[in-house]
Amino acid sequence: MDAPIPAVAGFDPDAAGKRAECDGGAPVAGTGMAARQEFTGLLTGQYVDHGDPPWRWYLMTGLSRKPAGYPWDAVWCESGNLFFDDD
Amino acid sequence: MPGDPLHTKLCDMLGIQYPVFAFTPSREVVAAVINAGAFAVLAGTWHEPDELATQIKWIRAQVGGKPFGVDLLFPASAPPAGGIEELMADIPEEHRRFVQGIKERHNIPDAKSAPEHYSLGWINQDRARRQLDVALEERVPVLAVGLGSPNFILEAAHERSIKVFGLVGKPRQAKRELEAGVDAIIAQGSDAAGHTGNIGTFSIVPEVVSIAGDVPVLAAGGVTTGRHLAAALCLGAAGVWTGTLWLASEESDKDPIIKKKLIQADADDTVHSRCVSGFSMRILKSQWTEEWESPEAPEPLSAPYQLLLGAEVHQSVNENRIEPFMFEAAGQGVGFVKESKPVAEIVAGLVDEARAVFDGLTSESPVRTGG
Repeated sequence: MDAPIPAVAGFDPDAAGKRAECDGGAPVAGTGMAARQEFTGLLTGQYVDHGDPPWRWYLMTGLSRKPAGYPWDAVWCESGNLFFDDD
Repeated sequence: MPGDPLHTKLCDMLGIQYPVFAFTPSREVVAAVINAGAFAVLAGTWHEPDELATQIKWIRAQVGGKPFGVDLLFPASAPPAGGIEELMADIPEEHRRFVQGIKERHNIPDAKSAPEHYSLGWINQDRARRQLDVALEERVPVLAVGLGSPNFILEAAHERSIKVFGLVGKPRQAKRELEAGVDAIIAQGSDAAGHTGNIGTFSIVPEVVSIAGDVPVLAAGGVTTGRHLAAALCLGAAGVWTGTLWLASEESDKDPIIKKKLIQADADDTVHSRCVSGFSMRILKSQWTEEWESPEAPEPLSAPYQLLLGAEVHQSVNENRIEPFMFEAAGQGVGFVKESKPVAEIVAGLVDEARAVFDGLTSESPVRTGG
């Protein structure tokens, strides 16, 4: 497998502490299809940018809504799928 | 054809005869659909980046300069690079024992090779980004983006003359993508095989059309017949996005056992289950789904643990073609797939049936089509 694309971590103070909803999701194993997973929580402000142009992912914690059985209290959310109260 | 209800702005945008999009993992189906006058999009997520480039080059050579598409599922929530080994260690012993019991009761042998997590659908941020770079480098005519938002890539894509289509399951996702400047929106209802939202096709499509302005909207979810195509156009869509319809076609590279199951299935033969990967989605019933519905079964794990838990069994089932355990995702329209036909015949059937519906709407005696 090729080496990972460089990922640049950073901190966005404007995002830190903001409540957000994430219309998340991922491909579904063995099916050729996809499925949604929805989260609500607080952004920490931590982000990772992948590649150029940068594809930004924010870390969300304090999850007040998450899929059934989701074991963690944090999720990385793609920035274009984050929705805020004032959206 | 002047006044042809099937000639929409999507036909003009892409130079196609019919506003029918096939979403398919089979490059042979892609080529056949395009050469039949419709449009096709290769499901690219399940390919390693190098292999994806090979598939794109193959399709390009088959379609004689006609445009085609690649669909990448941008994960909207996914882990960073790496991680499979750490996750495997967290799988509960109860679940390991349950799956081992299934293997023993049904004589499922160990897989001949290590589970191919990537081909099964495992993805992380890095892998998704490398697939996207392949699509950009190859300058695919249309990049369709499922789940995640294509907003960050629009400028780079348009610089390369790549049209970007975004697949949405909620109006707010459509609004976000329209504001960013996508070239078309695919509004997918909950009738679809994949789970992209809770809104049905008949509701999501007109709602997205109402905010899309001149941007074409494709209707997705349960679209399997010419009547569905006609209905989608009446809802304001400029075309339809279809998936299940092509799985059992002659050109499809699906296992003949899967094709037979699809042809025999009615909508009642699908089940919404988390037992494959932890995501809730619609799949054909199988021995695997029945095992997980039994009273002894533990609650399926969440994604990605359920995938990792079952990957070795799924791999063995496919290697050994163990029919009762073989499954496929299928939309609610699967009941309309009744035989394996050549792709060109499927396209012609859709178009003819839709035209008959429109002719019936404008005649005194509406034409009754289909079964």
